[in-house]
Amino acid sequence: MGAFEYRQAQEIRDCFQLHRIRYLFIGKSGAILLGFPDTTQDADIFVEKTAENCNALVAALLELGFALNDAQAAEVRRGKDFIQLKNGPFDLDLVFAPDGIERFADAWGRRVEVEGFPVCHIDDIIASKAATNRQKDRESLPRLRSFREYWLQRRAN
Amino acid sequence: MDAFELHDKPALNSSDSDAAIPAEWLVEFEAAARRPLETRFRYAFIHTYKPVLDDAPFRAFETTADYRRWCDENLPDWLGYGSV
Repeated sequence: MGAFEYRQAQEIRDCFQLHRIRYLFIGKSGAILLGFPDTTQDADIFVEKTAENCNALVAALLELGFALNDAQAAEVRRGKDFIQLKNGPFDLDLVFAPDGIERFADAWGRRVEVEGFPVCHIDDIIASKAATNRQKDRESLPRLRSFREYWLQRRAN
Repeated sequence: MDAFELHDKPALNSSDSDAAIPAEWLVEFEAAARRPLETRFRYAFIHTYKPVLDDAPFRAFETTADYRRWCDENLPDWLGYGSV
């Protein structure tokens, strides 16, 4: 398995759009889409947990080449809170209930679009990382908060 | 709908930026803002083998708390996924 590529992000974007899936890039992959210069290994997407959306998500994942068996597809359809996929063309984390964000609809209302990619607002990315209380997130928070200041200023200009 | 294309915006001068942003980081933020998204992706996404985490093709957790607990109990500390 190689690193996640721009082409693969485009495939997610285009396939999910076709299936009308409501999702947002979150975590450091979301921050990178906003312009945050750092490294990460994971692509994380925050998916709205509705039956219709989860059904469409299974169809889209199969189309993208994820080898979901029936039991795994059922778990995605149920919208289990956190699902790690390493059985496809790239690694993908599906997050249905990220720490620090109350409701998908709130994050959706604050979303930012970057070249057609729906991305969580930097404040939601920071809120979710702060709430995890993990070592790796704690280490990245000061730089992310500085990036937030920079990003907001650029946006205002 | 809020749309934002970071690389379309002019770069900030250091003097315009918040004093709280360390100068070294500001330089990096501005350099990243000048790069096309595809290039930012190429620089940002890396892949190294993560023991345990990468050893199963599929994992699903009922709750995010279950996932955090699993990370605490199963992953090496040095990966950084554990709770502080």
